[in-house]
Amino acid sequence: MYSNVRFKLNGEEKCYEGDPLRRLLDVLREDYGLTGSKEGCGEGECGACSIVKDGELVTSCIIPIGAVNGCELLTIEGIRDTEKGKCIIDAYAEGGAVQCGFCIPGMVMATYCLLNKNPDPSEEEIRVGISGNICRCTGYDLIVECIRLAAQKGAKLWNK
Amino acid sequence: MEQVKCFMPQTLAEALKIRKEHHAVVLAGGSDLMVSNSMGAGITPAFNSPVMILTGVKELKGIRKNADGSVSIGALTTSAEISRSEFVHPLLKDAASRMGAIALRNSATIGGNIGNASPKGDMPQPLILLDAKVILKSVSGERMMKVDEFILGSKKTALADDEIITEIILPPQEFTHIFYRKIGMRRANAISKLTLSSAATVKDGVVVDFRASSGAAGPKVARSRAAEELLIGKKLSELPAVKEAFLDAWNGVISPHAMPEYRRNTTRRMLAYFIDALAAGHPEGRVE
Repeated sequence: MYSNVRFKLNGEEKCYEGDPLRRLLDVLREDYGLTGSKEGCGEGECGACSIVKDGELVTSCIIPIGAVNGCELLTIEGIRDTEKGKCIIDAYAEGGAVQCGFCIPGMVMATYCLLNKNPDPSEEEIRVGISGNICRCTGYDLIVECIRLAAQKGAKLWNK
Repeated sequence: MEQVKCFMPQTLAEALKIRKEHHAVVLAGGSDLMVSNSMGAGITPAFNSPVMILTGVKELKGIRKNADGSVSIGALTTSAEISRSEFVHPLLKDAASRMGAIALRNSATIGGNIGNASPKGDMPQPLILLDAKVILKSVSGERMMKVDEFILGSKKTALADDEIITEIILPPQEFTHIFYRKIGMRRANAISKLTLSSAATVKDGVVVDFRASSGAAGPKVARSRAAEELLIGKKLSELPAVKEAFLDAWNGVISPHAMPEYRRNTTRRMLAYFIDALAAGHPEGRVE
C-alpha cells in the first residue's frame, strides 16, 4: 500500500505526503501554489478547474489526490510558456475572447486537449470541445472564433 | 473533523482484502462520491466510513471481446473509453457519450455508475435493455448477476460489504433497429430528466424481438418482458393495432415520482415514435 502519492506535475516529479482524499484542485492551489486552476462549482460541472491528466481533460475538483498516483498532470502553468500554450493564449487575446477571465484557464486547457486531438475542428466540434466549460461573460461566440484562430495560426504546431 | 482511513490498493487482491477487513467504500472516478461528500472549497471531503481509492488497480480497466462474442468491460473503464470502443453496443455508447461533458466522461466509470444506482444514472438503462451482467468479487469468490437484479432501487444494490464490482459483461446482441433518447436541460452537462432505449429485430416483416428500458422514470430502470411480448411475434402491419395496448402496459411499468404527467406523456410519445417508424418500414439501423 502507498503511504504517499507520486506523480509528474508540469514535467516535475512530485511526491505528496498527506491525506489522499484531499481534492486535487486544493493540493495544486495550496501545496504547489498553482492558482491558475479555479474553483467554480466544485462539482465537476463548470470546467474552471480543468487540467490535463495523462493527456485527457479532467476537472480537478472531483479527483482525490490519491487517484493520481503514477499520472502525468499538466496545469495552465505547465503550458502557458510552451509554443502551443502561447498560440492559444495569443489567439484568445487577439480575438477578444476574455472578459472577466475566471473561466479562461480551464477554457485554455479544454482548447489544448481539443486541438491536440483535432487540429482542424469545425465550429460544432469546438462547441462540443468546450461544452464542459461554462463562461458567464462572453456568450461563447468570441471564444469559439478564437479557437478557430488558434487552429489556423498554429496549424503547424497542432498537426505535429 | 477526524480523518477516515483511506486505502490506495494497487492490485485487485489487495483491494478485496481491504474491502473484507475494513468494508471500505469503493471510490472509482470520484464524480459521485467526491461531490456527495464535498465540504466546499479548500476542505477535504468528509466520508463517514473508510474509503478505498480503486483507480490504481489496472486489472479493472479496459474493454475486450470474448471468444463467445460477449464483451467484457472492466469496472474502472471510463465513459469516454466506452463511447470510443468498437466492441461496445451502440446503445451503451449513446448513453456513455451523453454523460456530463468531456472532462467528467474522462473520470466517471461504468462500475461507479452502476454501484451508485442513481435513478438518473445513464449507463444502467441501456445495460438493462442489453441483459448485461455484473461480476462481483470478494476474497471468498465471485458471483454474477444481471444488472437488472443487482440494482434494487434508488441508491440500493445487492453489493455485499466485502464485494467489489469488477466487470460488466455484455452478451452478444444484435437488433435490426435501435432507438435512444436522453432528455435533459441542455445538450451537455445535463442530468437526465428522462432516458429511453428501445430495440427491435424485424425479420420478414415480423417483429421477432422488441425491448425497451426507461431511465429516470422511477426508483430504478424500468423494463418489462411481459409488456415487450405484446409486440413480439406481431407483423409490422399489426403494430398500429397493438400499439396502444403496449403503450398502456408500459405506462404501468414506469413509476415516475416527480413530474409524473410529463414523464408519462413523454415516454409514451417516444415509444410511439419508434413503433410508428417500425410500422412504416424504417430501414435497418438507428431510428433518429
